[in-house]
Amino acid sequence: MPNTQNPRNGKAKKAPAEHSQTVIIPQISPEMLARARRAAEEGRSRQEIEAMEQEAAETAARQAAEQAKQPEPAPAQPKPAPKPGPRTRREAEAELFQTIHDDHLWLNNPVMVRGLGLAPIVVAAMDCDNAVMLCVAAILMLTATRMLAVAVCHLTANRFRPVIYCYAAAIIYVPAYILLYTLFGSTLSVLGIYLPLLVVEPAIIKRMESPELETVGEAFHRGINNTVGLCIAIMLVGILREFLGAGTFFGNPVVKSAWLPLASQPAGGFILVGVLCAVWTAIGGAYVHYKREEVRHLYADRKR
Amino acid sequence: MLTANVELTVLQAVAQFLSYAVLAVFAENVIFSRALGVSRLIKLVGDPDVKTWQYCVPVILVQVLAAPSGWAAHNLLFPWLKIVLPGWLPVYALRPLVYLTASLLAMALVWLLLAVAPNPQRDACREQLPAATFNCCVLGTLLICANQNFNLLQYLAFGLGSGLGYLFAVLVVDEGRRRLRSKDIPNIFRGLPSSLIYIGILSLALYGLVGHGVA
Repeated sequence: MPNTQNPRNGKAKKAPAEHSQTVIIPQISPEMLARARRAAEEGRSRQEIEAMEQEAAETAARQAAEQAKQPEPAPAQPKPAPKPGPRTRREAEAELFQTIHDDHLWLNNPVMVRGLGLAPIVVAAMDCDNAVMLCVAAILMLTATRMLAVAVCHLTANRFRPVIYCYAAAIIYVPAYILLYTLFGSTLSVLGIYLPLLVVEPAIIKRMESPELETVGEAFHRGINNTVGLCIAIMLVGILREFLGAGTFFGNPVVKSAWLPLASQPAGGFILVGVLCAVWTAIGGAYVHYKREEVRHLYADRKR
Repeated sequence: MLTANVELTVLQAVAQFLSYAVLAVFAENVIFSRALGVSRLIKLVGDPDVKTWQYCVPVILVQVLAAPSGWAAHNLLFPWLKIVLPGWLPVYALRPLVYLTASLLAMALVWLLLAVAPNPQRDACREQLPAATFNCCVLGTLLICANQNFNLLQYLAFGLGSGLGYLFAVLVVDEGRRRLRSKDIPNIFRGLPSSLIYIGILSLALYGLVGHGVA
């Protein structure tokens, strides 16, 4: 568009005096300028460049909408610092000792290693059915008794522990007996006095001798561990005694004649549990010896 | 004539008392025939800090003194409870609770009785009193007496016999354990396994004495 008002235009026509005209000069934005330069460089037309830009803008808007639909990822948690391993041989041995002490399933089994809960195992766990009933009773009573007793001990400042533990077991026994009777019916009478005796069985109330007061959470954790260890021992003895004493497994004949009928009697129970303890201790002792040697070799170059 | 009858009755009672006590010591020994309190026994014989009398005297006293309350609970309390309790709560569920209370009363009496003992023995026995009271041996004896429907005299005799039988078992196992420390015993059998096998063999010997059968 010619600029009619340019004073430098020497050949400017004389404009009509009474008639003025407003001319709009198009504003060139920096984006337009950049687009024009790019089009010139790439040899494309301005429309092509605009179409490409519009398509790119639509794609970006679509991706933003999809990201808004998805939940925001949780902020990255700082990784916990790796647990430092034992630095000295003494620390490593102490850690190994603690591991052995806490392992109530095998290395510190309440029956086979510590000699707890022998009365029902030696006499009452004479076959698989009795062993199952004893296991269920132990599952119902052991952890609950320990947790209840610990909770009460917190209230009494850890005094009168024997009374609290035994009465906690006796109170837990009431619903446990009702549940057991519902599950097993009159078969439960086969256990005789050994079912109510669980109330004072050391496997259940051994903790009363320890002056250290544990938390309820610890009581739950250790109670579960002890229950599993006790149940493993009860089932092992029950299965072996039924097999040796009657040649059956849960009442189903396995061999033609019983190999050791004495196994179903208390005397046989004592001897069988004694032999099992020896084998168990031998295997556990070998494992502990191996671990100690491992620690000794690992820390051989350190003085302590 | 009246005097003779009274004397006969007294003699019969004494004979019955002695026979039940002897039965409980040997034929129905709590350890060898029923394994009651065997876990505690094994711990006791391996513990040099606890003397045999220190633990067994409270056991005997608690056994004897818990017998009357156990008899009263079986013959007076439980029949009444059977009437009072709702149908969903069987009276058998309350047996441990009731017999533990009987043992607790006996423990309180023994605590008072030990006051007449000289000071070192008194403290030593009182220290072991809770462990001696809440024991399979004590509760098991009360439950056996209840199952057998004993009368009061039989309760007392069986309780005394069970306590003495426990002492007898501790002495025998203690002596056996001392001998089982020999180097001829393989390592894996030392301690708990050898003690259990030893008790099992003694239990077999009792079978030879009273017959091969346990109620």
